[in-house]
Amino acid sequence: MSLPLVMPPSTGHAPVAPFLRFSTLWIQITGTWCNLECAHCINASGPKEPWLKPLRAEVARAAIREAEELGVKEIYFTGGEPFLHGDILALLALALQTAPTTVLTNGTLIDAAMADELAALAASAPYSLEIRVSLDDTDREKNDRIRGAGAFDKAIDAIGSLHERGLLPIVTATEITSREHSDGRGMYERFRDFLKARGIEKPRVKIMPVFALGRLARPGGAVLSENDLEGFDRGTLQCSEARVVGDGGVYACPILAGLPGARLSEGGLEASFRDAPLYHASCVTCLQTGMTCKNG
Amino acid sequence: MQERIAEYRRIAVFGGVYNNALALHATLEDARRRDVEAVFCLGDMGGFGPHPDRVFPLLKGSGVLAIQGNYDESLAHGKTDCGCGYTDPRDNHFARISYEYTFANTSTENKQWLGVLPAHRRIRLGAHRVLMCHGSPRVINEFLWESATPTGLLRRFVREAETDVLLCTHTGIKWHRVLPTGEHAVNVGVIGRPENDGSTNVWYTLLTAGPELAVEFVPVHYDFETLARQMDQEGLPPEFSETVRTGWWTTCLENLPSKERSRGKF
Repeated sequence: MSLPLVMPPSTGHAPVAPFLRFSTLWIQITGTWCNLECAHCINASGPKEPWLKPLRAEVARAAIREAEELGVKEIYFTGGEPFLHGDILALLALALQTAPTTVLTNGTLIDAAMADELAALAASAPYSLEIRVSLDDTDREKNDRIRGAGAFDKAIDAIGSLHERGLLPIVTATEITSREHSDGRGMYERFRDFLKARGIEKPRVKIMPVFALGRLARPGGAVLSENDLEGFDRGTLQCSEARVVGDGGVYACPILAGLPGARLSEGGLEASFRDAPLYHASCVTCLQTGMTCKNG
Repeated sequence: MQERIAEYRRIAVFGGVYNNALALHATLEDARRRDVEAVFCLGDMGGFGPHPDRVFPLLKGSGVLAIQGNYDESLAHGKTDCGCGYTDPRDNHFARISYEYTFANTSTENKQWLGVLPAHRRIRLGAHRVLMCHGSPRVINEFLWESATPTGLLRRFVREAETDVLLCTHTGIKWHRVLPTGEHAVNVGVIGRPENDGSTNVWYTLLTAGPELAVEFVPVHYDFETLARQMDQEGLPPEFSETVRTGWWTTCLENLPSKERSRGKF
């Protein structure tokens, strides 16, 4: 499969976000390899030949070790679908000996046995394990129209399984279908009520904007200029303190991982500790919404 | 010119007064009975509780050596937000109520007092070099939870700050870790609200110099029922006084890491 993304403009004259500190390590563990093929996926992940390859376990391990030396605060695993990676449990175990660790998943591969493994990992780790399960709507039909047939029920099962074992999954939803609800309640409250009604006593919900990227990429989107950033604190952008290790090097942010314009190093993490060009149309969304891919 | 560093043998340290004058009074009394040489506050005088101006005479009259928290910085500079660092809508909803009440009920004189507090303090406890901060040495509102603060990060903090002991607060739950290299990191807790364990008491920290540094967390019992009644009379959300009466957090808990969150009731 060829790279399904609109080619970015040159990064040469783009404004930059200063590198302030290294807080967050993202590991693009499965690249764009996923068992789902969601309509709005930011990196066009899917089950066919991924345009961004999964990481070998030793690359991930080296990144975790380097990140520990550099004083990382938290570690995230993303993809694609991280639970497709054969070494995911061993890598989560290593990460959890280093820092609090989050894994972003569609939940479809978390059966009872996997939930048991995750609960055991969480119980034995010194740091918190967070499981972020993606769900785009509280309505099965609306969700599965975006995420594929069966995705809703499997994600709900995973959320229930994790909850039963004392893990507190964070349900992550994009605003992709929010306009289809006319009951006047916001998405956040709707998701909380939905989870509570299913016996989830401590519902944790994170709402994300939709990015014009991946399968929703449109050519010619506006990009940032220095004028747009006047009076804005660039230190609030996640690329000022996060780095992503993925196939091909180290990237500025999870949204743009794998794109040449966002690559800051072809080797180690420390070499990527420099200003990040805000060259992409998606950088406009971060600026306008104040969003972060982190848990909070 | 090199900064003169005061040296002590035994000190009391707390954070997060959160307008809780009753707990502050009880804490100061308790610390006095334990023969401390100085009392330090790591910031956030306001928020959550009733009658903000009542804490200042106690802090000033007892010679508490304070630093600035995010709440203090926001109040002093007339900001519209407490700067607590929440991202969740429900957390922000309650934080806004709390901040607007505190802002409206804190005198100009007290806001000015908050505005000149230092961001950090350095002291010595015997041979131990101590750095005090509110959130972290690098960011005033950084949350350093026990289950979300890597030892590698703490190692970096103490190395860069050239300190043997790092004291912080901001999260509302105390902890203490001795690093493999021997330094200490202590979140001293808060005296403004109980720490989400079903007990109504609050906590401060006693530090005593010696060949080994002694770190002791001290529970403080106070008249929480009177405080809760005052909160209700001031029209603060019933969720706030429920926390005071039960010891369980009901608000501003969405940013808790899973380990800390799972220990609470909500």
